[in-house]
Amino acid sequence: MSAWDDPATRAAARYSLADFATSFTDDPLEIDPEFTRWRALTAGAAGHYQQAMDGPPEPRGRLIDGAGRRSVINLSAYNYLGLARHPAVVEAAARALERYGVGACGSPMISGRTGLHDALERRLSRLLGRERTMLFNSGYAGVLGLTAGLLRKGDVAVVDARIHLSVIDGVRLAGARLRFFAHNDPDALDRALTETAGARRVVMVEGVYSLDGDMADLPRLAPVCAAHGVGLIVDEAHSVLACGAAGGGVTEHHGMSDEVALYYGTFSKAFGGMGGFVSGPAATIDYLCHYADSYGFSCALPTCMVAAHLAALDVVQADPGLARRLADNAAYFRAGLNRRGIDTGDSNTHVVPIVVGADRSRLYRLADALRARGLFIVPFDYPSVPVDGLRFRACVTAAHTRADLDEALAIIEQAFAAVDSAAASLSPAGPPDGRSG
Amino acid sequence: MSHQTREEIERIVLTHLRRTVMQLEGQPIDTSLSMKDLGANSLDIVEVVSGSMRTLRIRIPRAELEHLTDVAGLVDLLHAKALEKS
Repeated sequence: MSAWDDPATRAAARYSLADFATSFTDDPLEIDPEFTRWRALTAGAAGHYQQAMDGPPEPRGRLIDGAGRRSVINLSAYNYLGLARHPAVVEAAARALERYGVGACGSPMISGRTGLHDALERRLSRLLGRERTMLFNSGYAGVLGLTAGLLRKGDVAVVDARIHLSVIDGVRLAGARLRFFAHNDPDALDRALTETAGARRVVMVEGVYSLDGDMADLPRLAPVCAAHGVGLIVDEAHSVLACGAAGGGVTEHHGMSDEVALYYGTFSKAFGGMGGFVSGPAATIDYLCHYADSYGFSCALPTCMVAAHLAALDVVQADPGLARRLADNAAYFRAGLNRRGIDTGDSNTHVVPIVVGADRSRLYRLADALRARGLFIVPFDYPSVPVDGLRFRACVTAAHTRADLDEALAIIEQAFAAVDSAAASLSPAGPPDGRSG
Repeated sequence: MSHQTREEIERIVLTHLRRTVMQLEGQPIDTSLSMKDLGANSLDIVEVVSGSMRTLRIRIPRAELEHLTDVAGLVDLLHAKALEKS
């Protein structure tokens, strides 16, 4: 008997976080009691978020589980190239920690920069073939700064329908308008640009879509932007270092560097660290340094982190086989899922969704079953994903061994079989979503 | 806020719609159209639905609104829930 069999829990599962953004209380500090009640009824779901590891974000580790520890295979960490604890990266960070201390203790506009910040910006500019780069202390804050720094009221951001929330938040902060176009659809982009003609506009897409694992179709989208004379910004958060022969992301993979006006990337994925950066024309970056408030009004990246990112670049440039291992592992894992009849959506990269459909209780029953069998993979619920596309997201890394991936696949197969056979035994109509593992 | 008539609820929804979608301000609204057809983007739609539900103190799971095709459908659903509540 699962908590999801309880009628009150099943009724609560009709609701999602999308339903409580609006509060019915008159005081912002008074949390809506309906939200608190919903949280209590769906505590089984809440337990899958904000979980804590007892160690580094590596392929195998231990999850803190109450007073105990649960050994798990980790498919949730963005450590795509396994650099978060690479000896050369850790050593560089440790040396910088010893020399520069823990924090930068100042905005980059005031006192937070060191020679290493300058060196990392120059290295990234060279890698990406851009004039200038600026660093942000968080990936989210960087996108917020980039969009709100450039856009103004009356401007329009024409964005892919699956764009990350940071872009939407940045555009709203700017007071600009959002115009979505259907995912990766050049005709829809063309219509959106035609309909918004006359306004100042930018087009924003992701290199690799963070919950779908497919790449931006730059070869078909970029010519549409060019035809309308509108600049293209690519968020390569999940693809910088992980895609492209030299690590230049999907832009490099498609050979579209000249067609991309501004390049955004983060350090929290393939670099194994934290922070973000934007690379582009010197005049644009100079302007952003003064108008991206998340840059000028927030502390600079700690120098030890900057040193780690420089070392990560050294490691990747000395071992181009890392990215190849990542792509091979992703293809192997995805093929294993597909052989078991599991829907991986449009994924063709190391981000591999496991789409389970619209049934929220099935999502969380599967989450329970996967964790109980030793797999750390987090469920993604509406509104982060479409209401009929609830899913898990597997982050495959170059550091996973084939044994890790085989064991993970076996666990997934067992969990789907256990959950769907239990559902079938309760309902003559079969599994709730009509799909089994 | 119980016992609202359908007309009152429609007025509430249209007020939120006009407040959110600038080009609708002061304009007549054909409720047989979808909010998208009326110029709202997906965030505007969330704003209109949230605002209407807050005014009416009615919470309908967002996922259950996905199938609605026009403004009149939203008004009907809110009206039905208001009747249930009263």
